[in-house]
Amino acid sequence: MSQQTENKKGQVETTGHVWDGDLREYNNPLPRWWLWAFYVTIVFSVVYWILYPAWPYGDTYTKGISSVEYTVEGENGEEKTVSEHWNTRALFTRDMQSSPSALAQQEWVGKVQDMSFEAIEQDPDTLQFAMSVGHATFGDFCAACHGAGGQGNVGAYPNLADNAWLYGNSYETIVDKINNGIQGMMPAQNVADDTIDDLAKYVLSLSGNAEISGEAASRGKQAFASCAGCHGAEGKGNEALGAPNLTDAIWGVADVPGCGGDVACKTGEITHVVNNGIQRQMPAFGERLSETQMRMLAIYVRQLGGN
Amino acid sequence: MSTNAVPVATEQYNYGIVKKFAIMAMIWGVLGMLAGVYIASELAWPFLNFNIAEITFGRLRPVHTTLVIFGFGGSALFATSYYIVQRTCQARLWGGKLLPELTFWGWQLALVLGVITYMAGYTQGREYAEFVWPVDLLITVTWVVYFAVYAMTMVKRSQPHIYVANWFFMAFILATALLHIFNNLAVPVAWNSLESYSLFAGVQDAMTQWWYGHNAVGFFLTAAFLGMMYYFVPKQAGRPIYSYRLSIVHFWALSFLYMWVGAHHLHWTALPDWVSTLAATFSILLLLPSWAGMINGIMTLSGAWEKLRTDPIILFLVTSLAFYGMSTFEGPMLSLKSVNALSHYTDWTIGHVHSGALGWVAMITFGSFYHMVPRLWGTTLYSTKLVFVHFWLATIGVVLYIVALWVAGIGQGLMLRAFDQYGNLAYTFIETVTFMHIPYVVRAIGGAFFLSGILLMSYNLYMTISGARQSASAEGRDAVAAAAR
Repeated sequence: MSQQTENKKGQVETTGHVWDGDLREYNNPLPRWWLWAFYVTIVFSVVYWILYPAWPYGDTYTKGISSVEYTVEGENGEEKTVSEHWNTRALFTRDMQSSPSALAQQEWVGKVQDMSFEAIEQDPDTLQFAMSVGHATFGDFCAACHGAGGQGNVGAYPNLADNAWLYGNSYETIVDKINNGIQGMMPAQNVADDTIDDLAKYVLSLSGNAEISGEAASRGKQAFASCAGCHGAEGKGNEALGAPNLTDAIWGVADVPGCGGDVACKTGEITHVVNNGIQRQMPAFGERLSETQMRMLAIYVRQLGGN
Repeated sequence: MSTNAVPVATEQYNYGIVKKFAIMAMIWGVLGMLAGVYIASELAWPFLNFNIAEITFGRLRPVHTTLVIFGFGGSALFATSYYIVQRTCQARLWGGKLLPELTFWGWQLALVLGVITYMAGYTQGREYAEFVWPVDLLITVTWVVYFAVYAMTMVKRSQPHIYVANWFFMAFILATALLHIFNNLAVPVAWNSLESYSLFAGVQDAMTQWWYGHNAVGFFLTAAFLGMMYYFVPKQAGRPIYSYRLSIVHFWALSFLYMWVGAHHLHWTALPDWVSTLAATFSILLLLPSWAGMINGIMTLSGAWEKLRTDPIILFLVTSLAFYGMSTFEGPMLSLKSVNALSHYTDWTIGHVHSGALGWVAMITFGSFYHMVPRLWGTTLYSTKLVFVHFWLATIGVVLYIVALWVAGIGQGLMLRAFDQYGNLAYTFIETVTFMHIPYVVRAIGGAFFLSGILLMSYNLYMTISGARQSASAEGRDAVAAAAR
């Protein structure tokens, strides 16, 4: 049942409905500013619809009067300007062709295209450009594994910020590895239980990480013979195979520095690697990066190693 | 008015079901916000993942969103809608004892199953609709019963007119049914598998998902809470609603416009450009209809401003409307393609959602519960002072949260689009992550403020209810007088 409500002074009337004892509603008109603001949003929308693709009809849609221009290569190799109704694909093409940053980049890419690595390295301006490309590319493609500063992760991903290079540090090699990826592999070794400790100690002694002498040393050295095929008789490694130098006290897989002075811990690390081998893989980036990107990245990566 | 706590009402109306939902809303609220603070902390301090799959960000995030939206928000809506529909229709809830109970147990079971499956790694992978298909079926049944209970209660009302709050609740129930069903159309891999394939593919699937996702915001988190607003604001202020006409206009405008805007979540993707345009313009058109709800609420309070000093419940209600106005301004701005190019995929969006979710949804619920709970148990609030403290904890929490994510989101957006003089990107993704660490810490602190607020509220309501029970058992039916001391 609706009741009449008393009309307070200066107030508009309520609708006369009452709910739950005291719930009523005034019937104030729509605020003028509100109504006009609403009309403004309608006008805004209509303008937007006139400018841009908006309303579907049949199997197409209203294209809008706004347009985007970009260039395409004609049949005879000449450049042609085409104009399309506003759309995000055309916008992307245009931005990649003629936005200020695209123009800047094109200029520098053109400049370094035919320059040798050494020439780029020698010219401070082109070196800056290479570092800029390298920074952006490294951060998005490499940092996830190798770390933002290239510091790597012992046991998993090689450190690029030191000056030890598994495959050497020629620019051509670095580009090749980025382009084609790497299958890093050391086969698990079958070493007898009574000699594995000697072998591990021997390997550690190569970099001064452990002392070994006498008969133990000769047993260890003997067992190392099966390692020498890749790591070399003196354990200095082989860049062609990516076999690391074992004499430089730089550790990429066995976390020897993490053991501090604990020799048992160190031999444990080495034993684990010998027994289990290493399987690691770096993906090939050739299909995702341009030639210039890979070359600039190589310069950046070599700089990380302090070279 | 405060004299509404009449004991007769507990017999005239089904308050049992309202009480149950209200209590569960508080429990889910505490758990959901706890999960939120935890995952916010994981983003700031990743070691908190502890390498335990079940508690990593990816699994706890849907636990957080599900518990706060459907656990806290959903249970609060069941509670308040059942309370409001009975009182404004002057009719006891339809469906006897069984059907309302069914909505309660169905809903709670879905939530529990949701939490378990997400943590075990089962998800449909659709934002805010991560429930696997058997749970979707359970929700569908529960929702149909809810619709029947609600609609039939209105049918048998003893009031000639349907109060505005009920329109909003009705729109919410109908739209949610529609959204839930279409977004979850999927083919199970096998009858005994929890996995399923969506019926849609590619960009159509994405559009369906965001048609659902944004309308979950529009109808679940907006229309329904406007229903709450339309009852509790005039009730608590003791004043009539400002404008009936405005309520009609913005009800229909909201209902019509919201359905179009979901695609603004997919700007600059494979989405056709014309869809993008329509979504952006309809979002702009939504601004004023949204504000009409805020105007109607705030203008209802004008003339009762002096209560802001003494009544912290009014404070909650006004502040929630202010945040509603702010986030419904920010939303249309974010939906413009050019702004979206900066904001999309950054934490600005997350900040925006939380200014709505914490500032509007949670605050209006807090205000409404502080009004409703004492009346359900026929008593008065244990402590008004604690409500003031809660208000400040909540407000400081929201402000910290939003500001932190404005900094994080806008900062990251600007970094990701910055070029150096060579035309190369100036920052890498990881550099933007490093930059966001401090804002993430502030965000987690803001969340902790908000969480401590709801804990305080739980204590206050617990003391209110247990006080009412003690006096009821001690003094029998005459307890009301004692409770009103």
